[in-house]
Amino acid sequence: MFEPQTMSKLLIAASKDQLEVVVRELYRHNLFHIEEFVESDAKGLEGCTIGMPLPGASESSSDLVRIRSIENTYGVSPRSMDSDEKKMLTSQVRQRIERELKTIEKDAAAFSEEKITLENTIREYETRITELKPFTVFPANLADLKGFENFVVLAGRVPAHVSLGVPNETFISAYDKSNLLIAVVPRGDAGEAECELFEAGFQAISIPDENGTAGERTVWYTHEITRLEKELEGVSGRIFAQKEKNAAFLVACDELLTAEVERAEAPLRFATTEETFVAEGWVPADTVAKFMSDLQLATGGKSFISEVEFDPIEEAVPIEYHNPDFSKPTEILVDLYSRPHYKELDPTILISIVFPIFFGFILGDVGYGIILLALGYYLRRYLKDGAGQQLLVVFRNVSISSIIFGLLYSEFFGFALPWDPIGINRHLLIGSHASGHGPDVVLMLVLTVWIGILHITFGRMIHMYNASKMIKPGHHRSKVVFGQLGWILVMWGLLLMMWSLFEMPLMPVLAGYPAVYAGINGFGVAGAILVLVGIILIGRESPFELMELPMIISHVLSYARLAAVGLSSVAIAMVTNYIAIELIIDPQLANLSIFGVIIILVGIVVFLIGHTLNIALGVLGGGLHSIRLHYVEFFTKFYKGGGKKYEPFGKLRKFTED
Amino acid sequence: MVVETMTLEVAQASAEGFKAIGAGLAVGITGMATAIAQFAIGPAAVGATAENKETFGLVLILTVIPETIVIFGLVVALLLLF
Repeated sequence: MFEPQTMSKLLIAASKDQLEVVVRELYRHNLFHIEEFVESDAKGLEGCTIGMPLPGASESSSDLVRIRSIENTYGVSPRSMDSDEKKMLTSQVRQRIERELKTIEKDAAAFSEEKITLENTIREYETRITELKPFTVFPANLADLKGFENFVVLAGRVPAHVSLGVPNETFISAYDKSNLLIAVVPRGDAGEAECELFEAGFQAISIPDENGTAGERTVWYTHEITRLEKELEGVSGRIFAQKEKNAAFLVACDELLTAEVERAEAPLRFATTEETFVAEGWVPADTVAKFMSDLQLATGGKSFISEVEFDPIEEAVPIEYHNPDFSKPTEILVDLYSRPHYKELDPTILISIVFPIFFGFILGDVGYGIILLALGYYLRRYLKDGAGQQLLVVFRNVSISSIIFGLLYSEFFGFALPWDPIGINRHLLIGSHASGHGPDVVLMLVLTVWIGILHITFGRMIHMYNASKMIKPGHHRSKVVFGQLGWILVMWGLLLMMWSLFEMPLMPVLAGYPAVYAGINGFGVAGAILVLVGIILIGRESPFELMELPMIISHVLSYARLAAVGLSSVAIAMVTNYIAIELIIDPQLANLSIFGVIIILVGIVVFLIGHTLNIALGVLGGGLHSIRLHYVEFFTKFYKGGGKKYEPFGKLRKFTED
Repeated sequence: MVVETMTLEVAQASAEGFKAIGAGLAVGITGMATAIAQFAIGPAAVGATAENKETFGLVLILTVIPETIVIFGLVVALLLLF
């Protein structure tokens, strides 16, 4: 919690005859994050070179390429497929690769070619139809326009009728806002005729190479396209049948061969000498003991494994999150920004709690919450990969938060629920039912400012904690820690000064006490001192940071968006209801007529469109503004990130087993 | 002069009206200001993310910084109206 998984750095060394066994064992455990060996900056491994792939790598790779190409033809993707209850045995898969892969590949290639040929033909025919289109106004056979020795045929569009000065036979007919012109002129006069035509705005069109009138040929091509499309459907059907038949085998092959290729290429990441190899990498600390003993067992004691000391701050330790289940999905929001550094506080849990609260605060509406919940449930069918599932869980949490806040605000699609709002009233005075004093805008704004003050203070405190953990004890560390304290002091000092001058709702009342100095009371003076001390502390850390002092106000006020964005969404909902129901539907219900029913339907459409748009805006607004408050206002106070992802060598097997 | 013929009701009504106009201007102009600022940052941010996905977090921050302007406008408008 609050910290990434503790890691241990391991060093494995053995003679090269153990290479394959070690790689196989590492792959099976799926725990070892390989630290890539780079020849140019090998510390302590000078003179070593990167290893050669294991034998069989190129065969497996080429087989894998074949499998992927078949998968592509059939539209099979191992990522989007659920694993079967019964997994395939690897020996079986291997046999089937030997026996069936050739046939399957041939079928796939044949299908693919047939499909492409059909698609190309259809496309070609469609182009022909487009080319023929201008000539549909020309009633004669198109073949008659070709093959003259002494004449030239000019065809094209002209904006208006043209009469040529040279001897000619001309056909002209209106076509699509301009005219189709076909002129037959003696070969000798062709140049002159062309000049005249171009002056009249002539745009040449090539005459299609067809035998028959344009109309006849168009009908023929259209028929052909329909026939070919039916044929294509048949091919697609057969492809689908083949896919159904072979999908399970293909993904199993993919998995098996991917594993083989990855294993075969692993030595490329190790350091090797003539006879030995050295692999460096990371495993979670709690698995070290079992991992080491398993590896010793597999190699029959012929390998050397040891835990290596490492500097947790300087070295790039791979980061694996270590969070309770409820906040695991939120890791995706932290990843989107950047993974935490090894010794840094992991803020995932904080976000998993605060983010839904912010979202609910903005989009607190029971109706919207229920719709979002249903939408998230529906999307589960389509987003099957890890990140998608994580996002959907976050989405579910924010929907529930939205419902809870909706119950507090007493809002249902912008209507009031049968009880009064608890705590905060967001009902605007819109429509004839409007009563009461309107929304508690000032209350909400002050409340959000409070949230901002606390959130930012908390962020600064985390920075102090991080600094104490990540910076070596000394002058620099104390400067950073006190610098952050300075920021907190300035903020609270300013608050004290404001409280001593003005009375504000939800804030301590410190005004009205006797003045101590220049009309300012004791609290004000104390505040001023805090500000001064704070500025000195900040300046000691870095004078440049003093330029950012106005940020204190802008960042705190930025939290006012929680109130403002939420209120605008309520306003849209209420206005939609007012227009759809009070202005359109209600008057028609008063005296119903057939025409009125149509108007009522229009009203319902307005209602639906309005709320759909508002939900979309609400999700965008609620989600983006909440996450932005985290990324910009909260994270900039303490979070550095930049940790690299823990990617163990190996793979969880979905489709095959030994 | 107009002021001389103004009754109390008219004056109150116009005060309300000017408040509404002020609120509208506060949101509208700050919105435009934000838009102008984001107009330059947005394409650069998209470009940077396309080149290197890891910059997403950083460029998101850079993109949303000008949003603060319009939020201030919205806050001022809300304070004017209520």
